[in-house]
Amino acid sequence: MIKIHLDPRTKLFMIFAVSFIVMVNAVSPMEWAVRIIVTLIPVFLLANEGRYVSALRFLLCYGAALLLLRFYISAESTGVISALLVGYCGIVAQFMPAMIMAWYVIHTTKIGEFMSAMQKMHIPDGISVSLAVVMRFFPTIKEEYLSINDAMKMRGISFAGGRITKMIEYRLVPLMFSCLNIGEELSAAAVTRGLGAPVRRTSPVQLRFKAADWLMIVVFAASMILFVISKYFR
Amino acid sequence: MNDNKLKVKDFITIGIFTALIFVVEFACGMLGFIHPYIVASYVVLIPLVGSIPMMLFYTKVEKFGMLTIMSILIAIIMFVTGMGWLGAPLIIAAGLIADLIAKKGGYKSFKSTALSHGVFCLWICANYFPVIVTAKDYRKSLLDGGYSAEYCDALFRAINGKTIAILLALCFIFGVIGAFVGKAVVKKHFEKAGIV
Repeated sequence: MIKIHLDPRTKLFMIFAVSFIVMVNAVSPMEWAVRIIVTLIPVFLLANEGRYVSALRFLLCYGAALLLLRFYISAESTGVISALLVGYCGIVAQFMPAMIMAWYVIHTTKIGEFMSAMQKMHIPDGISVSLAVVMRFFPTIKEEYLSINDAMKMRGISFAGGRITKMIEYRLVPLMFSCLNIGEELSAAAVTRGLGAPVRRTSPVQLRFKAADWLMIVVFAASMILFVISKYFR
Repeated sequence: MNDNKLKVKDFITIGIFTALIFVVEFACGMLGFIHPYIVASYVVLIPLVGSIPMMLFYTKVEKFGMLTIMSILIAIIMFVTGMGWLGAPLIIAAGLIADLIAKKGGYKSFKSTALSHGVFCLWICANYFPVIVTAKDYRKSLLDGGYSAEYCDALFRAINGKTIAILLALCFIFGVIGAFVGKAVVKKHFEKAGIV
């Protein structure tokens, strides 16, 4: 299969479109259809990049939530279990498309590409550098958090302890320590690569829109327009 | 730090702390799906927990623009994660004002830092904006979206045009209290270690 490689700007547009669609609640079947199609595209793209496991996981998760939402939960359902289910399905059905999209973009965009795209769009350095760090940092935070969690478990400090303040303190503080250290390294690396130098940076990656980019832009723009029309002009 | 302009290192610090704050926000946000009253209690939870990274952040950068950039990033993240753009002006305004207050104290005086953190915490209320501004539509869309009527009623009992003033005030108050908590934690762990 041919690998589809999208331009970061296309990806940003896709994120924008998905967030827009996710924000407005879908009511009619057509809106749901648009939403599901928009969700399936990043799943397909993930599979295309060879990340079958995560693609499948997202697909199952989203599918389960949709089915539950459709057949099990209604405005009349009350009680603890359905409240939890509402919570789960609410999160998944509402935010999953945006999450899958963000996950896809974060995991497939090289930071150099991202910076180069930002520069092409004339975004000020302050925003683009910080944003790039935020993007890079979520996986790091998760990793660090998991190892801290393990260490704390070994010391017997867990949810079961009941002392919430201690629990927060013992996790947040080490996390901040390690994040700060990583930050120092990151900025040293960034400065060596000439970030912050008062010149226009060049990039080894040549960004150009290809056929796939235009296709994606058209599809997502069309679904946004469809959504707006079916929502407000009927 | 003689130089008052933000450098690359500061941008990276801002990015890191924004990610940390967002993780705190997200962890608290997940609780909100259990019961709507927890959604209202974000104004207490997030300032208190988030203050720990924030207080360290204040000591780390100490330059004008740090909070403004952070608030812009938060607004972007909020939009991307599906919270909508209604709150964005409030988030950025809160960041800018908080920045100005902190600048007045030269980013050193604790009094202005505490005040500034209180103002900065107002961004949390931006999450409630869709609930209040579009109350009727939002309720309908929640019901259509599969939330139970019970959840909706409780949500709107807790958050509406009348309570938003209280929520904003709470946000500010707990932001200031959080500044003390965060300061204590930072002092306990980071100053002893010589990081600050």
